[in-house]
Amino acid sequence: MHVVIISGAARTQSRSNTAKIIAALCEGLNSSGNTSEIWYLSDRKQWKSAKTAFEENQNILFALPLYVENVPGIMLEFLAGLSAKERPGTRISFLLQGGFPEVSQGRCCEEFLKTLPAQLGCGYGGTFIKGDMFGLSLMGEKIGGKLLQPFIEIGRLFGENGVFRPETIETFSTPEYLSEKQIRMSNGPLRYVQRFAMWYFAKRLGCKTKLEAKPFCENELQEAWEETR
Amino acid sequence: MISTLPKDHPLAEKAICCLAEKASECKTFYAEDMKITHCIGCNACWLKTPGICAVKDDYEQILKAYLQYDVTVFISDTALGFVDYKMKDVIDRILPMATMYTRVEDGQTRHVPRYKKEFRFGLLYAGNGNQAYLTHWMDRFCLNFHGISLGAFPIESYEEVDICM
Repeated sequence: MHVVIISGAARTQSRSNTAKIIAALCEGLNSSGNTSEIWYLSDRKQWKSAKTAFEENQNILFALPLYVENVPGIMLEFLAGLSAKERPGTRISFLLQGGFPEVSQGRCCEEFLKTLPAQLGCGYGGTFIKGDMFGLSLMGEKIGGKLLQPFIEIGRLFGENGVFRPETIETFSTPEYLSEKQIRMSNGPLRYVQRFAMWYFAKRLGCKTKLEAKPFCENELQEAWEETR
Repeated sequence: MISTLPKDHPLAEKAICCLAEKASECKTFYAEDMKITHCIGCNACWLKTPGICAVKDDYEQILKAYLQYDVTVFISDTALGFVDYKMKDVIDRILPMATMYTRVEDGQTRHVPRYKKEFRFGLLYAGNGNQAYLTHWMDRFCLNFHGISLGAFPIESYEEVDICM
């Protein structure tokens, strides 16, 4: 099987979590004799080739980050430029990743993704959702490698089946919601760990203010408000 | 109001005019007059320059307007049953309104809001939008930004958006 993978991430390939996930997925996918080609929509120069690859191939996988409950604007622009296929036989699958830990955060987007293949004259190969991916770029290679490990197996299974089968989703696409214990931890002691970690990452990136800074408040906003009157 | 429809779109003109009459103060942004690019996912608005978007285009005035006005009505064309990419680009850029910090509320993780403001967002769309889905999407979008959805309606039904609620 030859799979066309189109990354709907807006971040450039070198800094993209989606690109890292695609690389791990391809490791598993290509291990059993499958082949793949990858196109990145963050690079406008690749759009024409990505469109041609979509038109000429039958196994399409869109990999994307969750942006405000749906696909990123850049991917929506690409999708809107595609024409529906007239000949049957093409299947579109989706790999959706997000920063929040719960898979349930991706369900609203999944609902939209499910409608796309039929609108593009294609069949639907399922949506695989994985959360907790925010730290992939920030956590360093060791922790990042652990987060990516499951995608090798997910890629292998996708290569075997040509779709995301319910068993694959059930095994790897978890948790739907956090447990009571996880919620207590998140809102309790882990909150301070998170705050410290974020502060550390922010300092490393050169942040000079508090992360909860309100740049458009009080004086500046008041002036702008008065101008409208 | 933020419109990504052409300024001379007759239904948009009518809706904007009528909604403006109902409001005590109103400002309309026409995306066609502005340079608004898509969110590049750099996270600078969360981690490097908190609350400030790294993309330097015309969007910052919209960010300020979210805070200055009580209600925001998005006016959009549709594609694939959803809002078109121009409106999705506008809405994706709202991230600076949230902080990087998270907490679990009602069983799901949410970003801690940056400002003490309960946003009210409504959507009017032209074309073949899937109203049930758009309504659901607006509810979810508002939930994660600690706001209230005023709903999603075909542009002909602009009177359904109760900007005075």
